[in-house]
Amino acid sequence: MEIIKDPKINFLGKRKIAYIFSCVVIVWGFVVLAMRGQDIFGVDFVGGDMLNIEFKQSVTVSEVREAIRGLNIGTYSVQLLGTEGKELVVKSAPNTSKRILEMMESSYGVNNEDFFVKGESSVSPSMSSSLKKKAFYAFLFGMIGILFYITVRFEFRFAVAATLAIFHDMFFVVAVLAITNQQIDATVIAALLTIAGYSVNNTVIIFDRVRENLRKTRSDDYFTLFNKSINETLTRTILTTLTTLFVVFLLYLVGGETLRIFSFSLLVGLIIGTISSLFIASAIIFDWHKWKPHRFKV
Amino acid sequence: MIKQYYAKFLIIAAVIGLCIWQIYPPQKKIKRGLDLQGGVQVVLEVAETEQDEHIISDLADRALEIIRNRIDALGITEPVIQKQGTDRIVIDLPGVQDPDKAIDIIGQTALLEFKLVSDDPALIKSALDGNIPEGYQLLYTKEKDERGIERETHPLLIKAEPELTGRYIKDAYLGYESSGFPYVTLELNKEGAVLFEAITGQNPNRQLAIVLDGVVKSAPVIKERISGGKAQITGRFSTEEARTLAIVLRAGALPAKMEIVYREVVGPTLGKENIIQGLRAAIYGGLIVAVFMVIYYSVFGLLANFALALNILILLGVVAMLKGVMTLPGIAGVALTCGMAVDANVIIFERIKEELKTGKSPKAAIDAGYKRAWTAIIDSNITTIIVGVILFFLGDGPIKGFGLTLSIGILANLFTAVFATKTIVDWVMLSRKIEKVRI
Repeated sequence: MEIIKDPKINFLGKRKIAYIFSCVVIVWGFVVLAMRGQDIFGVDFVGGDMLNIEFKQSVTVSEVREAIRGLNIGTYSVQLLGTEGKELVVKSAPNTSKRILEMMESSYGVNNEDFFVKGESSVSPSMSSSLKKKAFYAFLFGMIGILFYITVRFEFRFAVAATLAIFHDMFFVVAVLAITNQQIDATVIAALLTIAGYSVNNTVIIFDRVRENLRKTRSDDYFTLFNKSINETLTRTILTTLTTLFVVFLLYLVGGETLRIFSFSLLVGLIIGTISSLFIASAIIFDWHKWKPHRFKV
Repeated sequence: MIKQYYAKFLIIAAVIGLCIWQIYPPQKKIKRGLDLQGGVQVVLEVAETEQDEHIISDLADRALEIIRNRIDALGITEPVIQKQGTDRIVIDLPGVQDPDKAIDIIGQTALLEFKLVSDDPALIKSALDGNIPEGYQLLYTKEKDERGIERETHPLLIKAEPELTGRYIKDAYLGYESSGFPYVTLELNKEGAVLFEAITGQNPNRQLAIVLDGVVKSAPVIKERISGGKAQITGRFSTEEARTLAIVLRAGALPAKMEIVYREVVGPTLGKENIIQGLRAAIYGGLIVAVFMVIYYSVFGLLANFALALNILILLGVVAMLKGVMTLPGIAGVALTCGMAVDANVIIFERIKEELKTGKSPKAAIDAGYKRAWTAIIDSNITTIIVGVILFFLGDGPIKGFGLTLSIGILANLFTAVFATKTIVDWVMLSRKIEKVRI
């Protein structure tokens, strides 16, 4: 079975459309991000309390919101989980969850009977700042590792292009999270790093073919060479993306609320990571070559 | 020619056997994280309370001993207490139902006391019969048996009123006798030295129990009057035990201030839901991938599925072997590995197709396919492993679990997709005359 017989798609020729599309989404997302401010980060990134409560009777977000507003405890958010309207996640400022629970007792009945706390967490500002620091270092070392490895196995320009493509994918996912009004918590960082690994995986498979084709020819018609390499590996790129997409999509559908943001980020990242491997990574090398010509020795 | 495959098949069979042995039964062998079994995680930040004459740098170690002492006293099964960096302590209490109580107990300030042990046989006898005399308490020393399991053994009748408390201690440290046995030196401050001289002078040959938060840590015998505020505690302890005792003494002297900076409570129902949903996603995901591979590659798809199954088996086996903790993101890592596990085989099979198109014989095409696909597979997998390893080392809790499964999954992938499938393909090609392959 074959998906496409001898594909001859002009990927490099469409690179400008890809650049513009990505720029628009990323800029849009970061404008939204700037407007939403601290709000977008989960409690593990800014510090605060989180309560996961299940009720016997269904409740509405607006009534819970109204009730919490009366407590005067600063910023908070209430989110409904599932479709039955019985499970809520309440996020609030540090050390306020006790007061929220007290309020629940007076308005919704007895704890552990009419409602019960399924889970709770509380993160102090000092803990959250060290989480942020760790996430930053994980990202930094990940990038350095990848940059170094590809430079050794390929060439410096390939490494830079692959790294830029990763940055692009991560920014894109963060932008989509901002636009779709989701929260960024520690699991998103894990998702972003996985996307980094996955996207670079796709890119490297294509670069591997570029390397092989470069060794076969003396021509410096890189436009044709890159396009040829992307097309030759296209079936594999599509197949692997499909199999991984199946899994991630299922994770998103049936993996439960705890993994929802994580799997959503992976889903977006997988798709954009594949697009960037096809349209952006090689294009960066090509445009760099157009700007400052260079003969590749791989 | 066939013989050389026996060794390879033996390796594959051995790996399968080893992994099954490691995993079975999974409920016992694979440790579940707090997010899967419910429980409490608390992260404490420790800080020095008062900086008098000198600073002792083992802040977190001191706090750790105190916490361990208390949690052991609570009788929680399988607690995990770890240092994180220099000033944080992570405590996992699986299955704890009343988190507030546990958190309260952990958060209290440490109390170290020196209490005299009664040597009156009549009093001890009546205490053991249940009539504890006024002003006394009955405590048990904990001793480790030869297998290292703590047992409550020796009963001690102890005066309730302490002779000394931790605030009279200046320092405590580990030393070695010339014969090589470890001992602990206890240094007292000026006031403490005066008190200690009086106690030791009045009570020769009696035991002085060192009690931390109501638990007897040691009960050395007073040999002689000790003046000058410097005492040595000798005994039959290992270096580790002596070190712990010194830390306990220092902890009592300068109790660290502990602040809860992170706490997470996962109720048992949420834990159960997480397992069910996570597993369901992983199983469905794996099945869809498997069906897809058979539809697309027919016989070779079955081969890839064998590699996929082997991959998951190895992944779980190694996690069990390393005593790794399976978390919800860890299950996601397994699911994701399913998606990526077939990647190496896709690369190889696509390459074989290309080689066949150039007019090569099936055998030559397969050999070339595996050989040429190798660089692509290794380079792409190593870049992903870089990410997995970094997540494992820099991440905490669930993220660490994810990094672990991702890394092991990719390593297993190299073995299954390249070595295992090639062995089978070669063996089939050799044992039957195959003129044409459909892939």
